[in-house]
Amino acid sequence: MLLKLLTRNRWFMGKLSLKPGDSMIEEMILCRNLLQAVVSNRNGQLHKYSTSTNMDEKIAVRKFEEEGRPLYLDAQATTPVDPRVLDAMLPYMTNYYGNPHSRTHSYGWESEKAVEQAREQVARLINADPKEIIFTSGATESNNIAIKGVARFYKIKKNHIITTQTEHKCVLDSCRVLEGEGFEVTYLPVLPSGLIDINSLQEAIRPTTVLVSVMGVNNEIGVQQPLAEIGAICRKAKVFFHCDAAQAVGKIPIDVEAMSIDLMSISGHKLYGPKGVGVLYVRRRPRVRIEALQSGGGQERGLRSGTVPTPLAVGIGAACEIAKQEIQYDHNRIKKLSQRLVDQISRSLTHVIRNGDPEHSYPGCVNLSFAYVEGESLLMALKDVALSSGSACTSASLEPSYVLRAIGAEEDLAHSSIRFGIGRFTTEAEVDYTAQKCIHQVSKLREMSPLWEMVQEGIDLKSIKWTQH
Amino acid sequence: MAASIRLTLSPCLRFIFRGWKFRNVTEYHSNVYNRIHNVYNFREFSKSPVYKSGEYEWQDPKSEDEVVNITFIDREGKRRPVRGKVGDNVLYLAHRHGIELEGACEASLACSTCHVYVQEEYYPKLSEPKEEEDDMLDMAPGLKPNSRLGCQIILSHELEGMVLKLPSITRNFYVDGHVPQPH
Repeated sequence: MLLKLLTRNRWFMGKLSLKPGDSMIEEMILCRNLLQAVVSNRNGQLHKYSTSTNMDEKIAVRKFEEEGRPLYLDAQATTPVDPRVLDAMLPYMTNYYGNPHSRTHSYGWESEKAVEQAREQVARLINADPKEIIFTSGATESNNIAIKGVARFYKIKKNHIITTQTEHKCVLDSCRVLEGEGFEVTYLPVLPSGLIDINSLQEAIRPTTVLVSVMGVNNEIGVQQPLAEIGAICRKAKVFFHCDAAQAVGKIPIDVEAMSIDLMSISGHKLYGPKGVGVLYVRRRPRVRIEALQSGGGQERGLRSGTVPTPLAVGIGAACEIAKQEIQYDHNRIKKLSQRLVDQISRSLTHVIRNGDPEHSYPGCVNLSFAYVEGESLLMALKDVALSSGSACTSASLEPSYVLRAIGAEEDLAHSSIRFGIGRFTTEAEVDYTAQKCIHQVSKLREMSPLWEMVQEGIDLKSIKWTQH
Repeated sequence: MAASIRLTLSPCLRFIFRGWKFRNVTEYHSNVYNRIHNVYNFREFSKSPVYKSGEYEWQDPKSEDEVVNITFIDREGKRRPVRGKVGDNVLYLAHRHGIELEGACEASLACSTCHVYVQEEYYPKLSEPKEEEDDMLDMAPGLKPNSRLGCQIILSHELEGMVLKLPSITRNFYVDGHVPQPH
């Protein structure tokens, strides 16, 4: 709505200096930046900022100086709500507040219609049937329902689950809970590239295997698993295939039919939708049965009782619709920005290791290890850029990332890793600013490091026997 | 009230509805059916009887060749042997023998209250469930891999000796002990 109001204002549009060929995304980024300029400039004097190429950078720096708000480069933790998504949601937070499960009046019908439309929008993005879409509170709940629900339903005949060592915490924890219930779980190691070894997967499948759970795109290193190959193996072995696609849906093309995916988890806030809503895709043919974790009114095919929050469902639906339209444009743009970031850093700094195979990674997730620099120190030094040293669920822990350990990263390198998350609204100026700031701070921290000094002198640190005092 | 309604009817319908007091609905329906047949002189091409839902199950087997013996295990765990016949619908057969299999939607695949557990070795002998049945089973509490809706199981010789177990609760479960009656 705000966007519509602003774009109706000729003076404002003049300030945007848009050319006819400019895309909606560029228009929205300019809108965002101009709005930030308006908000952050206490006098509201817009003329101070021209729409020159370095306007973004000026706003970025000013934003931090005046508001203490850093630049946002943590798109794997969450993404901002797309203004078009907010537009779609607002009516269902105000006028259309009916319960979508109320069958006796128009308030319920209009909400139900909106929820069903959202179901269709999600289904279209992943090439599913709308009836296969179950609304949940997020990907964590979706993963819990899928893994625990399937395992418990088929436990009489099958009691073995396969997953990988680099899965998200909620998948690993669900499997741990099931181990406590008597299930057997195989945690497959991954190759140094972060990819699953297809042969290991084939060998791990037993007659008692009920489920294979492999994530689409890793949340820490961005590695993209060969889902179609995994799906084909599972289908042949008559084993259900669950995919945690929270980081994949809307960013890379996902087709549940072509990839033979039986269950798939989606998160709203990872694809520019609202927080607090997710989706679980559950295949209907061949039927996947689930023991529901939540009892109640039997909503969502009896698999997830509870009133569906209409505004949130509408939000994730709109986010999926937008993603379907712009997935290619977004991907190309993010790839370009990602390359720009990596090129700038690797040109200026040595001993920088990219974690995960760049050839098989989603470009928006760049995980770099800066040798001889402590990751936490670097994060503190880059306080005007919002970055992460691991997944949002575990980055407060002092243990090195279990994902980096799984790909064979040495402990000191695992401790020196930083994740850069590039998203739909990240600008070139933000990437340039981050790269330059990162180069400057890494160099500064290395100058303070005795280890770096020793390396410069040609000493092999591995040959040193360290003693504790 | 009835008189005023009858005045507005066409002569043909007035004839059909004449004598509108009947002892029960079934008698009323059959009376109307017969009158329509008399008025329009319909020709019947088939002499085989047309039964309403559940009526076929109330007929005894014509010969021993038709008999299919099955066993219900009720909610208390008591075994209830039942003598059915080929073509019987399990839901209506249960009704005939006083077994608490509700069937709230009268076998129209719109509920899950005739949910039963089929003995493992007989499960593959049943026809594949339709998508609508699967959708309704989703709503059944206590669902298991051998769950089916009773209204979709039609007896055949292959099912001789089959055991069907009733789940402890259905979607229409009452905590006060009330037992919904078949319609």
